Amino acid sequence: MKRKSGLSPLFWIGVGYLVLLVIFAIVGPNMRHPFDVKVGGPFLYPSDQFWFGTDEQGRDIFARLAYGARTSLVIGLVVQSIAVTVGLIVGVASVYAPKWISIPIQRFTDGMFAFPDLLLAIMIVGVFQMGVGPVIIGLSFTAWPAMARLVKNQIATLKDREFVVAAQAMGAKTPYLVIKHILPHLWGVILAVMMVDVAATILAESTLSFLGIGVQPPEPSWGQMIAVGNLNKNSYPLMLLWPCLILSLTIFALNFVGDGLRALVDPKKNQAI
Amino acid sequence: MSEVALTQNRSRAKFWSFARPILLRLLYGLVSLLFISLITFVADEIAPGDAATARAGDKASLAQVEKLREEMGLNRPWPIRYVEFLGNASRLEFGETTVGVPTPINKLLAESLPISMKIAVMAICLAAFFGILFGTIAAIRENKLADRGILSFSTLGVTIPNYVLLPILVYVFALQLDVLPTSYELPDRQVAPEIFYLIIPVVVLALRPMATLTRLMRASMVDTLKQEFVRLSVAKGTPPFRLYAVHCFRNALIPVLTAIGTSFGYLLTGSFVVETAYLVKGIGFLAIDAITKKDTPLILATTLVTGFLFIIVNLLVDLVLPMVDPRIRESQV
Repeated sequence: MKRKSGLSPLFWIGVGYLVLLVIFAIVGPNMRHPFDVKVGGPFLYPSDQFWFGTDEQGRDIFARLAYGARTSLVIGLVVQSIAVTVGLIVGVASVYAPKWISIPIQRFTDGMFAFPDLLLAIMIVGVFQMGVGPVIIGLSFTAWPAMARLVKNQIATLKDREFVVAAQAMGAKTPYLVIKHILPHLWGVILAVMMVDVAATILAESTLSFLGIGVQPPEPSWGQMIAVGNLNKNSYPLMLLWPCLILSLTIFALNFVGDGLRALVDPKKNQAI
Repeated sequence: MSEVALTQNRSRAKFWSFARPILLRLLYGLVSLLFISLITFVADEIAPGDAATARAGDKASLAQVEKLREEMGLNRPWPIRYVEFLGNASRLEFGETTVGVPTPINKLLAESLPISMKIAVMAICLAAFFGILFGTIAAIRENKLADRGILSFSTLGVTIPNYVLLPILVYVFALQLDVLPTSYELPDRQVAPEIFYLIIPVVVLALRPMATLTRLMRASMVDTLKQEFVRLSVAKGTPPFRLYAVHCFRNALIPVLTAIGTSFGYLLTGSFVVETAYLVKGIGFLAIDAITKKDTPLILATTLVTGFLFIIVNLLVDLVLPMVDPRIRESQV
């Protein structure tokens, strides 16, 4: 069977959307109106002045969405950077470290899978204070085991390949071997998985904010805007529509980009599951 | 060694190879429960304020708070209280809530668990039925229109979060069409069958597992259809319905059964959003309520109970699967 080469149009649509979203997050919050003060009457419909209308306190929804995009993207990227760092260290260690280190590490990673992610994040965030910092800590704590497992499995398939064995035979020390010969093969897969995981992190962050235990008002976030929109949906449904729309589109875009990258670096995984 | 001893030895080895992974899983589960409860406990120590300040209220003087703290036994070091908590929890004694009127936590759990279980069971039945149905149809019509439609639909189901879907369903069906109630706990709840109040939460909860089960069933069925024995029975002239329903379906179902089990765990613990947004007073609602009120004993109790349920359900799946599938039984020996 002939394999389709190149990237799908969905991938490029996703990339385009994400670029726009980043621009929106950078310039949007104060472009026309500040995001956190009353600038007009409450529940105004979209107009020239307020492109997406105003919320229940008369704040500009456009600016608030942009600020929420900034929060979500920052949390998503920071959490995944932490997860990748920890995952790489743990993953490499669980293959190459001496047994007395690697076995406890593997057991601990397995143990982390035995508990539902979201519940753990809710616990950590809920018992500490609420806010951006604790959300990042809580979500990083639940995000790294999946990355560690991915790194470990990838290394396990690479470890016995000829070029690695050859390097070993030529006297390469383990740190040199890992950095020069193994890691360069992993970046592609890690980047692809990271895209999909950023989407999962953004979803988890909005879940926490929706439940009222994540990002706290007055700082806006999408999850919180959905929660407030949910309360006012009878009188003013638009307030619910905007954050739902932008959140769903972002999740789709990140998944398309992640899937596209994955198909590129790992053609065997390019199946519908 | 005699023949009998050999057989005994062998059957004992067989038993261990079967029981070991399950016991290990149980052990991991228990250890992670301990670990989670420890984190919660320590985090609560670090966070400002404790149960005594919460119960005393804003107007209490420092001396009053201190006295209350002594009465509640909170002035002892935390490791001692932690061990005490574990002892009580293992006997299913979780004490009383510390915020508002003291209520026995066991009573709250007994009120909230059944409704969460009911929703989870209904959601998993719905998800399993439609997931298997759609997955089978998609596999039989691989790469045709029906398949593509079902696949796109299931992608939507995996990616759309609960808290987006639920308000939209409520808006359309409760506020615009006025055919379903806006929430589970209505102040002027009319006498209607309870199922009426459960439709929206069950459908919302079921969507995600339904989507994953559909994809899994499709992949598994597609794999099965490519196997030798299928070609053989086509050659022998088995009618299509019998081929799909009898020969392939049972083979394709095994991985899906595992997934049904793990989804059920997800439903039990993942109902926080749905219960909070639709005001269903289940265990998820209780947990979020406890967190916003900073009611530590209740937070600990709800986490431990949901975590425990999650682990038990996953364990049951591992136990049941070998009974269903002889191949797993063989591979474990």
